Amino acid sequence: MFVLVALLCLLFYARLPGRLPSAADYGAVSERLKAEQRPGDVVLLFPWWTERARLYLPPEVPVVGYFGSDRDNLTAHPRIWVLGQPQLPGTGEEGFRKAFLPGRTTVGQPFQAGNLTLTLYTNGRYRPHRFVASEAYARARVYVESPDGTRRPCPFDGRAHRCQGPSHLYVAPEWHELYYEPRRCLWMHPPGGPDRLVVELDGVPSGMGLRLEGGITFENTFNRSHLSNIHMGVDDAKSGERLLDVVVPQGVPGVQKAERSLPPGEPRTVKIWSQATNPELRHLCLDVVALGAPGEGA
Amino acid sequence: MGGRPATREERLIAVGLWALAFIAFLLVERAVGFVRDEGIYFTAAESYAGWFRRLFTQPMTALKDAAIVGAWDVNHEHPALMKELFGLSHLLFHQTLGWLRPATAFRLPALAMAALVPALTFLLGSAVFGRAAGLFAALSFLLVPRHLFNAELACFDMPVAAMWLLVVYTFWRAMESRRWGLVCGVAFGLAICTKHNALFLPFVLVPFALWRAWQESKAVPAARDGAWRFVGLFAAVTVLYLLLFVALGPAGFQRKFILLSPHTLLFVGLAVGTFWVLRELYRVHEPTARALLPVATMAVLGPILFYLHWPYLWHHPVERVAWYLTFHARHDHYAWFYLGDLMRSPPFPLGYVVMKTALTVPTSLFVPMVLGWLTVVGRALLSLPPRTREWVRRPSITELLVGVNAVASIAIISHPRVPHFGGVKHWLPSMPFLGILAGMAVVSGCAALVEQLRARRPTLPFAAVAVPVFALLMAPALLGLVRVWPYGTAFYSELAGGVPGAASLGMQRQFWSSHVTGVLPWINEHAKPHARVYLHEVTGYSFQHYQDNGMLRRDLQAAWSPSDADIVAYQYHQEFREHELNVWQAFGTRTPATGLYLDETPQIVVYQRP
Repeated sequence: MFVLVALLCLLFYARLPGRLPSAADYGAVSERLKAEQRPGDVVLLFPWWTERARLYLPPEVPVVGYFGSDRDNLTAHPRIWVLGQPQLPGTGEEGFRKAFLPGRTTVGQPFQAGNLTLTLYTNGRYRPHRFVASEAYARARVYVESPDGTRRPCPFDGRAHRCQGPSHLYVAPEWHELYYEPRRCLWMHPPGGPDRLVVELDGVPSGMGLRLEGGITFENTFNRSHLSNIHMGVDDAKSGERLLDVVVPQGVPGVQKAERSLPPGEPRTVKIWSQATNPELRHLCLDVVALGAPGEGA
Repeated sequence: MGGRPATREERLIAVGLWALAFIAFLLVERAVGFVRDEGIYFTAAESYAGWFRRLFTQPMTALKDAAIVGAWDVNHEHPALMKELFGLSHLLFHQTLGWLRPATAFRLPALAMAALVPALTFLLGSAVFGRAAGLFAALSFLLVPRHLFNAELACFDMPVAAMWLLVVYTFWRAMESRRWGLVCGVAFGLAICTKHNALFLPFVLVPFALWRAWQESKAVPAARDGAWRFVGLFAAVTVLYLLLFVALGPAGFQRKFILLSPHTLLFVGLAVGTFWVLRELYRVHEPTARALLPVATMAVLGPILFYLHWPYLWHHPVERVAWYLTFHARHDHYAWFYLGDLMRSPPFPLGYVVMKTALTVPTSLFVPMVLGWLTVVGRALLSLPPRTREWVRRPSITELLVGVNAVASIAIISHPRVPHFGGVKHWLPSMPFLGILAGMAVVSGCAALVEQLRARRPTLPFAAVAVPVFALLMAPALLGLVRVWPYGTAFYSELAGGVPGAASLGMQRQFWSSHVTGVLPWINEHAKPHARVYLHEVTGYSFQHYQDNGMLRRDLQAAWSPSDADIVAYQYHQEFREHELNVWQAFGTRTPATGLYLDETPQIVVYQRP
């Protein structure tokens, strides 16, 4: 039996080099992508950790690969290039297909370069992003608002809206990790107490979905059970109507989200806000997106 | 259980194995990066060595507590034996003789200690299961990539594995020799001077000593009485210590534990009492006395050696030992990626240690380990009921000693509340014993095969089967080792699907920052003069040591965040993904410049500011 086990192990090592891609394989994939990519395309890695690809792929195409990315809806992208290495040991391709395929349709034939497989899919989960707060942040009015309506402005310095007080009180789009997922979102650390940090933005389209997504970044959600929950929300600036409201519970990692359909009408001015009683380590990052209907414009 | 002396041939083979291992360690040491702990150990070692110099030049000043604290306060969360050796080796081989680069000089004592493992494994394995089994155990130990990696470090994990093995070996030898009973006490003392794992040794060994004494004294009532007196003495002292503890409270117990106190008196009483009881017992029945002698020497010599070896304890022994023990009892938990779960705090999965061992020991070695252990346990269980007793040969107490030690450290670390970071290094003391059981299982298989083959070729030598089988079983381990070297913590076995399979399983592949050596040549080549370099997770000590050892350009400056850096080498950890995103944020790019990828798995990702 030992001999059989050893022979199987030797077979494993004999096969392993032949299951890995070469730099030339990556080069070929990169050329293919350069030739066929369209604005809005994204590359999804399978398995999720095969990040070596980022060394070779065209920098203008976003590359997504994180623990859990198989399930990512990638709603901002009408087309998805799956860069797969199904030959690698223990990839669990079935699990990937189960998570990824619903709503996605293959376009054309997969491109094979050595052990790399590049397959194009249309993304049935795509929803056109008509407004993204983190992209419109530079024209926002930002302030800290007291319950009595008093406002303390946070002037824009060209990169961020900086508020008086601790250095973390500012608003700017940043890259952060929300339960392993890289997100470019608005840093909106609440000021603490009843005050709210508010980002006021004009021109938010009506007649479509409005989504609020955010969460506590990095490891700040863990092992701090004494800290208070964070509240984030979106109000209509004119009417004061609460459009969206989400609690980000301490101890719960990942993205918390809420969505509602806005009735048709004129573009709105909205107040995106964050608030937490406890001002300690409330590392909140969020975004507000106006979304078209699923599949629209795909 | 009866120890037996090694034959001359066995001793020669053991010395040969030590030399082979030591030379092998020395030859490949240069490739291994400085793990986070080494940075502080190097610094502590230099500080301790400085104190020893002062002891010769200004002995009266050096012996004052202020001078001792000044030199020994650094890294006082670990006993000092290995760091003393690291420091003295550095002083001799680098600073005085100039024979070795600084890091190699620091590491030299650890290499020598690690080389003891195959030598002692062979001696014990050969004595219990035969020479071939001992050889298999010794050689296969070296081929496990994580063993070799840990053997290269100026740390305590491999040295304490060696010391654990040494204590067990001397304990076993003490069954046939009074001299070895004393050596066992010294070995135990040195073991607890190496790392706190050794504090668990008495819990593993004392039951064997008592069992042995019980067996030996069966037919000699006077010996049985003596054994009871011995046990009674220990029990009485324990009870009295407990009473003191309860009466005075933890703080009072600690505060009043001074030179002239009931606490010290109890210890002296124990030492004198055991000496007296054992002297009587030797007169009445030597085998019973021999069985109990290691318990006495461990109890008496252990604390004395521990106190003497560590100047930091000399002026405030109780207070500082209490701090040391409390530190480890309340150790922080670091995040650890295991089967797709980023574990941050207890309770941890009960099967973690067994699973991690299964996935990190080359499968062709792990399977014989498991079968060997199951064989001993199975024989022990089947020999209990009268119905099955005749089916099997009852395992000897020596075999059980090996079997228990094969799982002792694994069982301790398996406790769901014990910190689980650091992976296999914390249960390395189990591995030589598992290797011995693997050797036994493989040799049994070879013997059965030889017996069958001898039906056709009666003169067939055992080696004609054993050598190719050994080679076949060790070949995959060697291939795996070559494939990942020197990034030992990245290794995963065939069972896991190798390094890529483990990545898909969601397993931690590094934690100690040493893989950064894979990108230092690129940084040396591409960094602009005086560039600011952020080596993520690499301590300031290690940054300095890379420069001191000629592995990183001298003109490069250490930066401590991406925003301050021109180049960042990010260590790919699941718990540190935010750190890589900080680089994206600071550099405005998501495209790395280069990286270290093992079988496609990202280990180190390097970014250069555009």
